[in-house]
Amino acid sequence: MANVKDYGNAELEEKLSDTSYYTTDSNPQFLEDVKKISRTAANMCFQCGTCTGSCPSAPRSSYRIRLFMRRGVLGLEKEALNDPDLWLCTTCYSCTDRCPRGLAPTDVIMAMRNLAFKVDIVPRNFLKTVQLIYKTGHGVPNNDVNRAARVKLGLPADPPTTHSYPEFIPGIQKIMDFYGMKDKADRILAEESK
Amino acid sequence: MSGNMKQYAFFLGCIAPNRYPGCEAAAIKTSEKLGIELLPLKGASCCPAPGAFGAIDLKVWYALAARNIVLAEEMNMDITLICNGCYKSIYEVNEILKHNDELRDGVNEVLAEVDMEFKGSIDVWHLIELYYDEKICGVEKVRASVTRPLTGTKIAPHYGCHLLKPKKERHFGDTENPMWFEELIDALGAESVQYRNKMQCCGAGGGVRGFDLTHSLDITNEKLINVQEVGADAITEFCPFCQLQYDRGQVEIKEKFGQEYNLPVLHYNELLGLAQGMTPQELALDLHAVDCNSFLEKIV
Repeated sequence: MANVKDYGNAELEEKLSDTSYYTTDSNPQFLEDVKKISRTAANMCFQCGTCTGSCPSAPRSSYRIRLFMRRGVLGLEKEALNDPDLWLCTTCYSCTDRCPRGLAPTDVIMAMRNLAFKVDIVPRNFLKTVQLIYKTGHGVPNNDVNRAARVKLGLPADPPTTHSYPEFIPGIQKIMDFYGMKDKADRILAEESK
Repeated sequence: MSGNMKQYAFFLGCIAPNRYPGCEAAAIKTSEKLGIELLPLKGASCCPAPGAFGAIDLKVWYALAARNIVLAEEMNMDITLICNGCYKSIYEVNEILKHNDELRDGVNEVLAEVDMEFKGSIDVWHLIELYYDEKICGVEKVRASVTRPLTGTKIAPHYGCHLLKPKKERHFGDTENPMWFEELIDALGAESVQYRNKMQCCGAGGGVRGFDLTHSLDITNEKLINVQEVGADAITEFCPFCQLQYDRGQVEIKEKFGQEYNLPVLHYNELLGLAQGMTPQELALDLHAVDCNSFLEKIV
């Protein structure tokens, strides 16, 4: 006979089966989204702190990657996405190489940033890069000083990228428009300048 | 070109061609002497920047990187590149899409709009790994190409992050204290030096340079302190974005923190160019924010 282990109280059982019962702010779907986008089993984090100990951003800020890992597990979506420290990860992957659980905390941060962008939380420098790539194909486009230097080196004034072949730019724009990325960047920046 | 030349589609990225064109010129010329011919990847764009772009929407990152890869697939040629950031985008997306049907189908749905299809038919290499690879080039061949040894110079290696890490998605082994880059530096007649926390990030990545410059430079400053401590004459790397962070960063650090290093920062291809007899003019070293003369005086 199977040994049934419970409290013998249906109401309490139901409450316990919902792992988010202890806080109304918790959204279990957040962890699922993070896992899917990051392609790492973020729920396996056992909070050892090796990630924070490896992090070049930690000693000079309040950014703690372990805290974001915990927020992921607990489904604390707003707490994670609203915290500006989310954008202090340099994506150096030291934490990922050292995680004793074989997880990729760096990719968890990337996933959380993706989720933040979905609700319009994003530092403005990221949006400007989007606009530059949409317009020129390059995040760091050429300029006149550099063109002159290139010619002196015997290189064409513009590299053989979209700079020399602008006919490729509409294709890039089509790809970005497929995801509505440029419109979104424009909208957020326009709302700000009002 | 002779039939013995190995040909690659040369993915340029942004910072090398548009800020440090000497890296581009040097890569082409130095590789030619090592039996590697770099052909233009026409119509390529930004990789796109993994930190600044992947951070906000990975799907667009996959699709735009895939477009660059497909340009090389159409040339039926492997890609090589000279930037760690580009390596993360182009190498990693190539590998992910080769092995993940769901993501590949998603990307191909978008690429169909521009009459392209990701097939997964090519590989992606950083030029530095081709130099180190005995089957392609190897350290001895690099050594043999040197006509002006950089004797008497002490050079600090900076590996950067995205070529080696995350190690389980790469093929470079140890990421705590690798030594292979030192072999390539020593092959030029220079002396590579070890310093504290060698593998630490330059501080530029993940969009942090754009988001919080002071924070980003504080990381750079720590590395510069550690490099200066061992008396290096220059830093070398194989990532133009790290180069920009160390080079222009020194000017910004002087303004913000009042600390001054005057430590020249050279891409390995620029260093190799010097060792193969290229002049500073042929490498556009005057575009560097930190004057390279203190280093050049040691080798002439």
